[in-house]
Order: sequence, then C-alpha cells, then structure tokens
Amino acid sequence: MKIKVDIGPYKPEPKKIISYKREAPDSFTIRLDWQIEHGPGQFVFCSAPGIGESAISICSDSRNYVDLNIREVGNVTNELGKLQVGDELLVRGPYGTQYPMQDLKGNDFLIIGGGCGVAPLRGVIKYIDGHREDFNDISLFLGFRSPEDALFKDEHEDWDKRHKLFMKFDKMEHENSTACYTGSQGFVTDLVKQEVHDNTNKIAIVCGPPIMIDKTVEILREKGFHDDQIFLSAERLMYCGMARCGRCMIRGKYTCVDGSVFRLDHFEDE
Amino acid sequence: MAGKEKPENGKLKVGFYNVTGCAGCLLSVIYTEGDFLEFSQQVDIVSFPFIKEKNDDEQELDVAFIEGVVVTKADEETVKKIRERSKMVVALGACAHLGNIPALAKMKKSEDLEYLKYKKEDFNMDREGGPAPLHTLIKIDYTLPGCPPDRDEIRQFMKYLLLGKTFRNYNDPVCVECKLRNNGCLLDQGKICLGPIIAGGCKAVCPSGGLKCYGCRGFVQGIDKEFDGYFRIMEDKGFSLDDVKRALETFMAIDAHKVLDEKFAQYQLNRKAREESYE
Amino acid sequence: MQKGVFDDFVREVMQSREFVAPVKGDQTKEVQESFFTDIKDPSQIEIGQLTYFPIKYYFFAKKEVLFSFHKNRIEEPEIDIPERVFFGLRLCDLNSIKHQDTVFLNNGFRADPYYQARREHSLLIGMHCKKGDDHCFCQSIGLKDFYDLMFFDKDEHTYGIDVGSEKGKAFVDEFRRFFEEKEEGYITPEDKVTINTFKLDTTNIKNLWDNEVWSSLSEKCTACAACNNLCPNCHCFTVEDEVEVGDVTKGQRVRKPAACLVKGFTRVAGDHVFRDDLVGRFRHRIFHQLEFFRDRYGETMCTGCGRCIRGCPAKIDWVTGINTAARKQRGGQE
Repeated sequence: MKIKVDIGPYKPEPKKIISYKREAPDSFTIRLDWQIEHGPGQFVFCSAPGIGESAISICSDSRNYVDLNIREVGNVTNELGKLQVGDELLVRGPYGTQYPMQDLKGNDFLIIGGGCGVAPLRGVIKYIDGHREDFNDISLFLGFRSPEDALFKDEHEDWDKRHKLFMKFDKMEHENSTACYTGSQGFVTDLVKQEVHDNTNKIAIVCGPPIMIDKTVEILREKGFHDDQIFLSAERLMYCGMARCGRCMIRGKYTCVDGSVFRLDHFEDE
Repeated sequence: MAGKEKPENGKLKVGFYNVTGCAGCLLSVIYTEGDFLEFSQQVDIVSFPFIKEKNDDEQELDVAFIEGVVVTKADEETVKKIRERSKMVVALGACAHLGNIPALAKMKKSEDLEYLKYKKEDFNMDREGGPAPLHTLIKIDYTLPGCPPDRDEIRQFMKYLLLGKTFRNYNDPVCVECKLRNNGCLLDQGKICLGPIIAGGCKAVCPSGGLKCYGCRGFVQGIDKEFDGYFRIMEDKGFSLDDVKRALETFMAIDAHKVLDEKFAQYQLNRKAREESYE
Repeated sequence: MQKGVFDDFVREVMQSREFVAPVKGDQTKEVQESFFTDIKDPSQIEIGQLTYFPIKYYFFAKKEVLFSFHKNRIEEPEIDIPERVFFGLRLCDLNSIKHQDTVFLNNGFRADPYYQARREHSLLIGMHCKKGDDHCFCQSIGLKDFYDLMFFDKDEHTYGIDVGSEKGKAFVDEFRRFFEEKEEGYITPEDKVTINTFKLDTTNIKNLWDNEVWSSLSEKCTACAACNNLCPNCHCFTVEDEVEVGDVTKGQRVRKPAACLVKGFTRVAGDHVFRDDLVGRFRHRIFHQLEFFRDRYGETMCTGCGRCIRGCPAKIDWVTGINTAARKQRGGQE
C-alpha cells in the first residue's frame, strides 16, 4: 500500500534572505525574514539541497528576523556562501537549549568567545542590550585568528561603549590593520587570566574551539568559579535535532536537545 | 576541492586516459550507462579513447581521469604531461591507486617473468624502479579505488563534480556494508577476509558472493588500533603475519609489506605494554 | 490454538497480509544466516533459534527517502508499506521494537513519520523462548511484556496465546476459527519462564567508565561495526542528499543507519573526529546500551539478545568482561 507521508518534523521551510554581509574571508552573516520565538544559544538547520544540511547557531535576538553567522568550512557551508539577498534558504528549527537569561538576572557577565564561537554570543549580547536593566557589568573577551578574521567588526565600537570589550588575535599579520576596533596579539585565555579577579556574582559564558573552552574553564576554576557559574557550548555532528540520530551524543547527553548550551556542572566530557 | 575548478561559463573539460592496465576501469565508467550519457552532455569530454574516434591530447583539462599503473617510461611521460595540463587528476581504479596486479612484478626477479611474454619485442617494462601507482609520481586530487571501481561511486563522483562539492571516499570498513547486505562473517568460516581493515564502498561485493575480501580498495584511512584488533583475531585463528601479507599482496603488493610490517611491530609493542600493565 | 491448524492459519493470514517470520539462512543464498523475511510457505518458518539478523530494518529502513527536492521545492515521499504480520519474535526482539518506538515515536518530539507509518501497519506476534543460547542473557535485563499476541508452547499439541493489545484482540477476532477461548490465567507464570545459562551481573556500570576493562575488551576490536548493524536496538543514523546526474538540482534526502564503532561517526567539517579513540567508541556503545538510554528513558536499551557477541568476528565477550570488572571493583570497595 502506498502511503503519502507527512514529513513534518524533517521538513525545512524556505525563508527569504533580507541581508548578506561578509564578515571575514571565510565567514558571512545573513538575515532571514523569519519570525520565530528563539533564545540566545539556540541553533537551526540550514539546507543546501543536493549538498546536505548543517546546524548553524543563531546570532541574533529578535522576534522579527533571524541572523545566522556561517563559517565556510565544509561542503554545505561553502554552498551557503554562494547565497544572495533575495534568495530563499531552507531552514528548520530552532533547536537546543538556550542560555537561561531569566534565571541569571542581576549578575555580572563574562562573555568569552573564540573564532566562530563568538556568533552565538552575539545573541547573548543582543539579549542583554534588550534587557539592560536586568544585568550588571558585562565584559566581552573575544579572540580571533587575526584582525581580518574578527566577526561583527562594525559592532565592536558600540559593544565597547556599552560594555567592556577586550580582544586578542593569534596573529597580527598586518601591523596597521584597521580591520578591527581594538586588540592586541595573544590568546583570549590571557585576557581572562588578567582581567578576571574573582567569581562574586559573576556568570561566565564560554564558546569556541574545544581547546579554548578547556583552557578557559581551567582558568575560571582557578579564579574560584563554581561549575554552576560557567556555561559552555558543545559542538558535534548532528543530523536530526530531535535526540534520534545519536551522532551528537556526549557521554549520554544529546548535544541537540540537552545542549548545545550546557551548564558546566551538567556536562561531562568523554 | 571538486567545485573550485568549475568554470563560470561553459562546461568542464574532462579527459579519460589509460596507461598500463586492462581498461576495465574505463569500462566501469561506461557501465554507469544512462548516467554517463547525461554526464557527457553536461561536460565536454575532450578525450576518451574507448568511445571517441578523435581525441584531443593537447588541450588543458579541468579534470583528468587516469586508469592503470605506470610501467614504462612512456607511461611515466604520459601521466606527467596529463598532470601538467590538468587542474584536477583522478586516479581511477586499483592500478592507478595502489599498483594492483602489475605491481606484483616488483616482487619477482625480471628473469622469472620471462615466461609471461607473449612476444619478446612487445614486452616492455623499461621504467626504472618497476611499476608505480600514480601517487608516487604525480599529485593526485581524488581517487576512485577498487578493481574495478564501483559504478555507484563513479556516479557519485560525477554528481559531485557537477555540484562543485568536495568528494570524500567511503571510509568505513567493508564489514559495514557486508552486514547490511545480510552476510554472515567469512572470518567465522576461517577465511582470511580483509574486510575489517579495508575501506568499503564496494557494497561488499566479494563477501556477498562468498569470496573473502582481498583488499582492492586499500586500507581504511586513519585507522590504527583497528589493525591491532585484526592481528589479534588472526593470531587467535592461527594465521601468521605472512598469511595476512599474502592475502593482501594481490592488490597491494607495494604497500602490503611495508604497512603491515609497521602495524605489526606496533601491535606487538602495544600488546607487550598491555600485558605488562596487567601484571 | 492447535498446532495442527497453524499452517492453515499462516496461509490464511498470507491471503491478506505479508507474513514475516524467521527462516534459516543459507551460505549459497543471498542471506547467509538466519533472518526474518516475508515467507511464501509456512514450511519455511524456523523458530528453533534466535535469528542472526535483527528485525529492526523492517521499521528503520536501510535507506529511507525523507523527501525529494527540486531546488528549494520539497515533495513528500510516498512509501510502499504492506500490511505485515510479524511472527516468531522473541521477547528480546519485541523489547527492541519497544525501545525503537521510544526513540522514534515517544521521545518528546514529533513522531518520526516514516517509522510511525511502518509500525502502524504491523502486528507483532511473539514466540516465547524457553531457553537461551550461549550468548544471550535476557534474564539479566528484565524485559517487559510487549506484544500484540504471544505464542507459548503449551504442550505437544497446543500453542497458548496471550493477547497483549487491542490490535491483537482485533486480529484474533478476524481469524476466530483458529483460536479457542480460554479461561483467565491459562498462561501461567511457568509458561513465561526463560532459562539463561549466560548472565550479565549488572546493568549498572556507571562506575566502570574509567575502568581498564574497555581497553582490554577493545584489544580485539577491529571497529567493523558488526555489533552495531546486528543490534536490534542501535538506531543511530546518517542523512545524505542524493542527486540525479542529469540535473543536480533534483534529488532526494535519504537516511541510512550509522555505526558508532567506525571512526567517521563523529567526524565534522574540517576533519575533526570527536570520538577518535577506538577504546572510547567501544565504551560508548556499551554505555549507550546499558546506561545512557536508561538515564533518559528509564529502561536499559540492551535486550540481551547477544547478537553483538555472536556476530563479532573476534567474539568479544563484553558481558563476561563487565562481570569480572564489576566483581573486581566490588571486591576492592569491601
């Protein structure tokens, strides 16, 4: 018997691209005409039909649109890089946990990001800017490979005005680079070491490559941070977003539904 | 990557070539039937000696497929020239990839091969150093392994070329597809099946027909401890390293000894260390 | 049911449905070991032993077309699903279907439509298993009754049948003439007994995460993933797009089973592999079977069928390995 299947949960919907901005040689940000409830830290699946589907984190906080920052590292993301304003992109979501901003009111925030890990943190910053009176001091510690690779360059000035912005670059290829607002050579972990003194009423949000997360967590713990003050994002291969495909499992936790935002005391690495 | 070479306007220029080999791999390309016809309409087939009367052997190419192993000086010159005028070179089949049967000549003295000659004057293996797979002489961008290469993988490669998508070879062991094809295990029957350490993508065609895997597609890439497991199984079943080598020689005469010796030495070290740690 | 009418019963069911039952494998045939298939004649049925191959691919297809696309236009697939009666499932097979139901239908997200469609057109008839073999250990797991109908070998002439669901009841009503009504309690607890000679001492292995047992067990492992592919519970998958050569903007998104033992399982763009170490992959599989699934859904995923040991080229006996390690650990703590 032939049965027409309602593919509901796996069906991506086309959404119009209303803006496209190249951030770095291998990274760009698109804005989708997509009105959907979402929180900072959540992600969506983007399809490039014929190539495949990729999980991409949301880097905005709005009910009117969704911003996605995409780094071109694989087949799907390379294909997405060819999109233009006016094109439609197939998406489904959002999926995953969010930073529990409601529960964290009244705290100082250390927002620590490395490379493309800064993308979801922009969502956090946007949220804070929208609810500024709920939060105290906000410090941003961002690290990139080089000034050219820095994401959201034209927002740095604004971020520095509203909050405290610290930046480090692995390499300063061009001495007089104007590509970024401010920053010097070094690692984001150096910044955390220098600028963070204690854990009083502080929440640290860490997102970046695994090695950077590990190092940062180590330093934060040395500074007296408890694991329930630290949030991190895990990245894994995933196909469904519904705790089925099993690819994203980290010691029994599905990154797609239990994460990708984990409070450190709820997270056990393998 | 596959797509970067794709010209903005016009079609990809594609050539198919053959050095010493049986031409079975080129035949496999044709065996993709309707799909090859579709493919040939979307690219510009500059050269394909099997199916074209006039072949252009001077033009610059986007993609060159080369079948066969380099055995003669002339072969070597051919492949080097193809490399020079091609943006992408694809090693097609086990000969081009690993050396395959012709490379067995490396394990014999040349006098012992005399009896193989049909006619004395035609017998030519004049390349110094003996038969060589392509990657030892020129840069290879992609490999379509197998003897013969799998039709569906060739199809897949054509699609990826047209899509501009980076091609990645199937890299799970033969056993994965073998079990999905409802086969029992030949190792259980006491055969030296190479399935666990050989990359699949062939849909386990040999084990499905009751033949052990001979390893025509080369090792699974990036594995290490898996070799230890395999040697251990062999040892438990009473096979020696030489038995495994012999099984692997057919298609991998060049790599079989070197790689297996290396992995076996590592296996013995690991085993010793482990035994000591238990004590 | 009288055993004498069983063949007639099967033939009658086959008039309107596919009848899927265990049959023997044959080295010379396409399927070399025992497996489930839609039979053509009742004489094919072989219920003497647990099948080598699992039942799962009838529900969780080896290749499932999620949808077809042409550029951004998406079209729902039509799948061909015959009405199927599954016969001869053992309690371990049935529980594995229960666990797959948990993942694909009841995990808190919208039900997986493909799996759901296949399950809806199925009827599960179990066959009670009195005695396990050298590799199975269902008694160590604590399986649940989960079936539409369950056959028990009552005596030489009779099958006792337990009705486990409304669906099962409707089926019995449809084929009324083969069944006889019996009093409540006709199936006794003794009928439900299964004897295992092989045992897993504990499914609680949380404390064994850092144990050396994993490296000693995986010493013989080649990461061939036979355990994954033969396991009736393993349900991890991969999703790929397949396009047409003639027009690469047309194609299908397909889902295929994936095996966590192989290296590529956790590979991401940029060629980073998260679970790179074979020992870690081996441990992950067992932990998913015994711990992770229970943490989430309250039941041990492993159903103790032993297919992973039977089908392993190295016959890695992780059950004994865990028993020994757990015993050692207990000894150490006392």
